[in-house]
Amino acid sequence: MSGPARADRRRSLRWRLIAAVSAAVLLIWLLTGWLSYSMARHEAEELLDGSLAQTGHLLLAIIEDDEDELVGLASRLARARRADDNVYEPPLEFQVGRGDGTVLARSLDAPELPILGVVGYSDIVRHAESWRVLNLVAEDGRHRVQVSQPMSLRDRAALEVAGQTVLPLLVIVPLLVLLIYFSIRRALLPLDRLASEVAARTPENLAPLSGREIPTEARPLVASLNRLFARVGAALENERRFTADAAHELRTPLAALKVQSEVALLSRDAPMREKALHQIESGVDRAGHLLEQLLRLARLDPVQRLEKPVPVGLNAMIHQVVGMVEGAHPGAQRRFDLALPADEVTVRGDPELLRVALRNLVDNAVRYSRPADTVRIALTTRGDDVAVTVHDSGPGVPGEVLGKLGQRFYRGRDHSVEGSGLGLAIVTRIAELHGARLGLANHPDGGFVARIEGLRAVPPGRLKR
Amino acid sequence: LKILLVEDDPLLGDGIRAGLTLSAFAVDWVRNGELALHALTDTPYDACILDLGLPGKDGLAVLRELRRAGRATPVLVLTARDTQDDKIAGLDSGADDYLTKPFDLDELLARLRALIRRACGVVSPVIEHGDITLDPVSRQVSRGGEAVSLSGREYALLLDFLTHPKHIRTRGQLEESLYAWGEEVGSNTVEVYIHHLRKKLGADVVRTLRGRGYQLGDART
Repeated sequence: MSGPARADRRRSLRWRLIAAVSAAVLLIWLLTGWLSYSMARHEAEELLDGSLAQTGHLLLAIIEDDEDELVGLASRLARARRADDNVYEPPLEFQVGRGDGTVLARSLDAPELPILGVVGYSDIVRHAESWRVLNLVAEDGRHRVQVSQPMSLRDRAALEVAGQTVLPLLVIVPLLVLLIYFSIRRALLPLDRLASEVAARTPENLAPLSGREIPTEARPLVASLNRLFARVGAALENERRFTADAAHELRTPLAALKVQSEVALLSRDAPMREKALHQIESGVDRAGHLLEQLLRLARLDPVQRLEKPVPVGLNAMIHQVVGMVEGAHPGAQRRFDLALPADEVTVRGDPELLRVALRNLVDNAVRYSRPADTVRIALTTRGDDVAVTVHDSGPGVPGEVLGKLGQRFYRGRDHSVEGSGLGLAIVTRIAELHGARLGLANHPDGGFVARIEGLRAVPPGRLKR
Repeated sequence: LKILLVEDDPLLGDGIRAGLTLSAFAVDWVRNGELALHALTDTPYDACILDLGLPGKDGLAVLRELRRAGRATPVLVLTARDTQDDKIAGLDSGADDYLTKPFDLDELLARLRALIRRACGVVSPVIEHGDITLDPVSRQVSRGGEAVSLSGREYALLLDFLTHPKHIRTRGQLEESLYAWGEEVGSNTVEVYIHHLRKKLGADVVRTLRGRGYQLGDART
């Protein structure tokens, strides 16, 4: 198996569950084996010790009566050999002697031990074999009996008992593991179904995951996924609408360029051709402007907040923007009326974006007002709040149009005025990035008012640092 | 032949007008839906080119109102939206044809010619009247197999007679067909052009009905 596949298995819930449960079952199995072995061994010890004692006392009692019969008894006992296959009928090994230690009789295989040992049980190793030995003395001290059993007998008995407990499990455990495997597989099937449902989601199909079959444990995950789907869906829908609108807005200037160039090619007289060429030139300018606005908006869209806000002096910027707009509309004959505080007002923001926003507002004021109209630009502060107001004395906008201004590609006022329909959308976005908002309204005394409010002032003290 | 162009984009409108004028159409150009409806109600245009994305009343609304008022003026819709649904909505609202921006000027002209031809009940693209033939595509005119060279206005005037074969056309109607709004019309220019036509194609090409107007002459073989 390759490395990644192994790593995959390690992370798989199914494999981890199967491995953990199987290991636990095996462990319990081994523990059971060991426990039954030790318990069986203990029982065998007691049992065999008992039979040892019985034999010893019996022999002692026989010697008491008739010492001379002992040799014959030993040979008879030697013939009554044990049954090999029954642990509980062990061979009888013994030595019988007098109180002074002389051996009178012994079984053939009895270990050659002095019979003067301590009275009671002892474990002895003799010629690489261990023995359980019991020494007994008659009450009057004249005779001694030593009975012994090989130790291996007890081990065999214990093993036999433990084996009988454990061996059936040898068949049962694989069955159990197999059963565990299948039940875990089955239990995790809803997760597989969930996975294939999630896999079926595409940008076109972002329907929320649902169904009673979702396991409780997976519900929080599914809920988060559904929320993500909703957000992605909304973002995609936005994107799609924007693309459709952009395509729409780009097609018209393209159509104009195409038709004008065909006219230039077709026309035989010079003035007409020249006019068409001039139209093409201004059409290219317009398409360029539109493209620039589109790109600007596309760049601003994914931005969540300003990268590095810096202090921006607004008084100076307004003067600069008015100069730029006047330069862009030579002969526009608008009067600019600037109401700026004497002290420089400084806000935290992106100077490039703020300049674009101000320029768009002032530019709109000039485009949609008439010659001799006034464009009034006011900079006001209230506490930390800074607002810039651009108020033109032009005709304003119809009420039903007001709500749609600022929507992308919506061109509210006169369509004969050149424009991309994106200017106010860009200003709105820039205001949002500065934590401010764009307000649009008709002024009660006439004219149109655009106002960026909620810019954050930088206290003069902080500037010195 | 007179066309109403409804287009709010100054550059595109100007280009289409120039292109149509080069092809001997007289073009009136309006930039919003309300003006378009007024113009279509007041003047019998031979066709209308209608942009759908108009400020105020949009193109589809204009189209529906026009058809509700029972006007059969052929309408070619221009739009930047190219989805199936948009096309279906346009055609169902009473459009006769449909062009998506950006388009070829040649294609626009061809579709316009086809629209006008169908509206006049003419099947063949080449118009024949006796031994006079007029090919709107190459704008070539011939009589008895011999090519005749006509100026733009002369061609437009002949085309007007050929597309209205039974009609008696007043001088006013002919002027309206030949000239767009704001074009200078001389006091007797229509007579001058009819004179030229008779000189180039024969005296019987146009019949004068004293006090009523002019009519296409009988077919001669």
